Amino acid sequence: MYETIGLWVAAFFTLAIYSFLYKENPIYRLAEHLVVGISAGYGIAITWEITLEPRLIQPLLAGDNWVLLIPALLGLLYITRFIPSIAWLSRYPIAFLMGTGMGIGFPLTMKASVLRQLEAAMAPVYASGMPWFEVLGNLVLIFGTLAALIYFFFSKPHKGLFFGTGSKIGIWVIMLGFGATFGFTVMGRISLLIGRVQFLLGDWLHLIE
Amino acid sequence: MNFWDKMLNIDRRWIFLAIGVVTIIPFLIGIGMPITTTTEVEDIFDFVNELGPENAIFVAFDFAPGTQAECMPMAVGVVRHAFHNDVPVFMTAYFPLSHGMMMAGFDYVTNPSIDGYYQVVEFAEWAHLREAGITTKAELVTEWENAGNVLPDNAANWVFEGRDYALLGYAPLFHLVILGMTSSIANQYPEDANGNALIEMPMLNEHKSLREVDLALTTAGSSACMSWITYAREKIGTPIAFGVTAVMATDYYPYIQSGQIIGQMGGLRGAAEYEVLMVENDVTESTGKAFRGMDVQSADHLLIILLIIMGNIAYFAGGAHKRHQMKGRG
Repeated sequence: MYETIGLWVAAFFTLAIYSFLYKENPIYRLAEHLVVGISAGYGIAITWEITLEPRLIQPLLAGDNWVLLIPALLGLLYITRFIPSIAWLSRYPIAFLMGTGMGIGFPLTMKASVLRQLEAAMAPVYASGMPWFEVLGNLVLIFGTLAALIYFFFSKPHKGLFFGTGSKIGIWVIMLGFGATFGFTVMGRISLLIGRVQFLLGDWLHLIE
Repeated sequence: MNFWDKMLNIDRRWIFLAIGVVTIIPFLIGIGMPITTTTEVEDIFDFVNELGPENAIFVAFDFAPGTQAECMPMAVGVVRHAFHNDVPVFMTAYFPLSHGMMMAGFDYVTNPSIDGYYQVVEFAEWAHLREAGITTKAELVTEWENAGNVLPDNAANWVFEGRDYALLGYAPLFHLVILGMTSSIANQYPEDANGNALIEMPMLNEHKSLREVDLALTTAGSSACMSWITYAREKIGTPIAFGVTAVMATDYYPYIQSGQIIGQMGGLRGAAEYEVLMVENDVTESTGKAFRGMDVQSADHLLIILLIIMGNIAYFAGGAHKRHQMKGRG
């Protein structure tokens, strides 16, 4: 019974959102506002049920883990933003998060996103037994990376063989990247439509398996 | 206004209608276009296929409902594959909304109305077997069935909560949770999403931290997947695989080339490839939602290509490009 009601509600709001394709209307706006409100409400409920209640309230009520009062107090300081006279207190939890976040994340992020990528770009172009298409791929990788980097080098005018031709090739490389991304984006957007149509035709109307 | 100008100024609602029609028809008639598999998906499949009951994997539901059409089939596919090979699966969620996605994905794999589902045995139901020291899958199944429990005809196998899976769910600041799990999973999750103590779970006793886990697959609709590389792969070398939305796929190809991830499923296509590989290797009897969606995807892409070609013909044949050039000069 509840499942059926849920299906009908989901189908109604799916169609309500898609009604925007015809023109904006009150039903669409209702659905849009509900998405925002319910998402926020669900987030709060989950955070309470999974985090605050079992990991903070219960241990404190049980009388152990008093150390939890420190993060609890830091968290509460966020709310001081709503009281102008003591709003400055909210800077402490922000500073704590920024500091720990940078300290923990920076070295590992540098390693993951910069150093490893540099290492991968320094691969040998050719090794014995390497098939020709792999050699070609390595050349495209190296020259493509260099050309794209030249395009983003703005301290010299993009003229002459090195900077002029290099930056033109760089534009082509970047455009090829954009093209691939656009193709994937179209695929992604269509996939989302497919998901909803599968729900409407399958779960709701039972026209397909 | 000539014919070409009319084409260029066509009401976009006609295009929406055409996309809608082309999306619905292939679902109803079922084309069944073949799908070839790519190396980056095969690598993930082969990796999971090599694992057994002594291993364990993480499947991270790091997406919200907005991208579930793409990400859910990937996560469901890998969970099914792991269950088929009796590989224990820890399931996590990066955001509060992903927690619901995790529960929905698990429900889909264990839903009795779907053929080939996995029959759940809840943690409390097999407490007496744990207390008797029976924790290996083969022994568990034997003892469970000897006690008079019968596997339904349309079920693929039993899955024991705490031995075959643990629904860990959402925890705030999840990137720090990943970091914490490199030392201890139970410290980050004293209880699972159903309130069961993790330290009582046999799968946790065999895999106490991420260091003892063989793969973490993150299915993500945002850059959340990068946290797994940053805090698990780079810190302790955990093998990582990505299942990402198509929009994000090109951003993460460099991580395959650098060897930081073992493979990547990109969008619905990636999920469909995984479903094809599962059928080819007798993991499942039939393909799932992603494969069925690919017929529609192909039809829609053909329509979009046709519209782009027609738009360009109309633009140039109707002389609109000349008028735009003159406007620019003026």
